[in-house]
Amino acid sequence: MCREPDLDIYDVLLRDFPFLLKGLGVAVVLLVALLLIGFVLGMAICLLQLYGPRTLLVQWPLKVYERVFRGVPIIIMLFIFYYGVSGIYDISAFAAAVLAMGLRSAAYQSQIFRSAFQSVPAGQMMAARAMGMSKIKAIRHIVFPQSARHAIGPWTNEFSSEIKETSLAYVIGVVELTRQAHYIITSTQGNVLMVFAVVALLYFVLNRAGNSLLYAFERKLAVPGFEK
Amino acid sequence: MTDDLVLDVRDVKKSYEGLEVLKGIGFGLRRGETKVLVGPSGSGKSTLLRCINHLTPPDEGRIFLSGEEVLEKNIDAMRARIGFVFQDFNLFSHLTVLDNVRICQVKVKGVAADVATERAQQELERVGLGDKASAYPAELSGGQQQRVSIARALAMDPDVLLFDEPTSALDPELTGEVVRVMQKLASDGMTMVVVTHEMSFARQAADELIFMENGYIIEQGPPQQLFSSAANDRTRAFLNVIAEHG
Repeated sequence: MCREPDLDIYDVLLRDFPFLLKGLGVAVVLLVALLLIGFVLGMAICLLQLYGPRTLLVQWPLKVYERVFRGVPIIIMLFIFYYGVSGIYDISAFAAAVLAMGLRSAAYQSQIFRSAFQSVPAGQMMAARAMGMSKIKAIRHIVFPQSARHAIGPWTNEFSSEIKETSLAYVIGVVELTRQAHYIITSTQGNVLMVFAVVALLYFVLNRAGNSLLYAFERKLAVPGFEK
Repeated sequence: MTDDLVLDVRDVKKSYEGLEVLKGIGFGLRRGETKVLVGPSGSGKSTLLRCINHLTPPDEGRIFLSGEEVLEKNIDAMRARIGFVFQDFNLFSHLTVLDNVRICQVKVKGVAADVATERAQQELERVGLGDKASAYPAELSGGQQQRVSIARALAMDPDVLLFDEPTSALDPELTGEVVRVMQKLASDGMTMVVVTHEMSFARQAADELIFMENGYIIEQGPPQQLFSSAANDRTRAFLNVIAEHG
C-alpha cells in the first residue's frame, strides 16, 4: 500500500476494513487455539494436582510449570518461543504465539479450575463415594458439574484478558488485528487515533459478545435456590 | 452362626495420629434389626459408622456384610449395598430431588433410566416428598433434605442403612419429620444402625441400645432395660443426662 493523499481517512478505513476483519479473524483463531490448549492442559494439571499421586515427582514439576508461566511476562515468553524454538525447529510466528500463550493460559486455567473444584464441599465427594461411585465417576457426575458452575465467572475473566493479549503476538510478527492497523497507519501516515479507535472498538465488541455468551451460559446452568 | 448376620463388625480398631478412637469394637445385626449407638461426643460412634463402609478405613478388625467381607478391593460394590445418611445430608446440590435419588441407581448399579425414575418416585412417596421431585435441594428445608437423603439411600436397595446423627444439624422443630420416617423404616423391617441423641427414637424403634465410651462398647441391651436398670454407672449417668436434655 503506497501513500494516497487524495483519499481521506474514512475512505481508507472503508477500503481497508476487510484487512482489519482479516486481522480480527487471525486474532480469533489465535484466541480459540490458545484457550483450547489452555483448557485441556489446565484441566489435566488441575486434576493431577487435586486427585493425582501426591509424590513430589508428579507435583513438583506441575508447580514449577504453573509458577514459571504465571511469573514471566508474556512478551518474553513470545520471544523465547519464537526465537528460541525456531533455532531448533522451524516454527511460524503464529504457531509460536499459540504455543506460548496456550501454555501460559494453561497455567492460569489450571488455577481457575483448581479453586472451582475446591469450592465444591468435601461432603459431595464423600456422599458420592459412600453410595459406591468410584473416584472417577464421582468427579465426573458430581464434582465436575458443580465446579463448572463456579469456574465460568473467573474463566470469563481469563477469556477477556486473553482476547486483549492476542494483540501482543504483534511483536513476533503475527499479522493479527493490531498489526493490520499498523499497516494502515504506515501507509496513510498519521491518523493514528482514528485507526486505533476503530481497532479498539473491534476488540471491545468481540469482548462484549464473548462475555454475553458466557454470562448467558452461566445463567442457564444456575441452580434454583442455590446461593453463589 | 454368623451367616445370618446382615452386618458383622469384629474387633474394629482405629487410631488418629496415635490417639486410639476405637479400641476393639464388635457387634452384629440380624435382618430387620435396628440398633442405636449412643455415647458422649468423642466416644467413637461416628468413626465406627464410617469404618463400616470404609469412609474411614479401620486399622484392624474385620467387617462382613451378609457374609461377605468388606475390603478395599470390593469397596465400591459393598458401599452400594450399605446406605449411609449423613448428619448434614450432602445432597448433590446441582441435581433435582428426583435425580438425587436416581443417579446412583443408574451410574453405580446400572439400573435402566425409567426403572430408576419409577423407584426414585416410590422412595420419595415413602418419605412423604412425592411432590418435591423437581425441586432442587437448596429449595427445601433441612428436614426435607434429610428425608430426600434417606430416599436416596433406600433407592439403592441396601442390605443395611447407617445413620450418622441424622437430626443433629436440624432445627428442633424439624427433627420430628425425620424421626417419624426412621421409625416407619424400622417397623417396616429395614436393617439399621443409628447414631443419635433422639432417645424417643431409641425407646420406640431400637431392638438394642449400644452405649459407647472412650472407644469401647460399655453396655448393650434392649432400650427399656438400659433406661430403667443399666448395669453400668456411666451408662446410667449418660442416659439420665440425655433423658433430661433430649
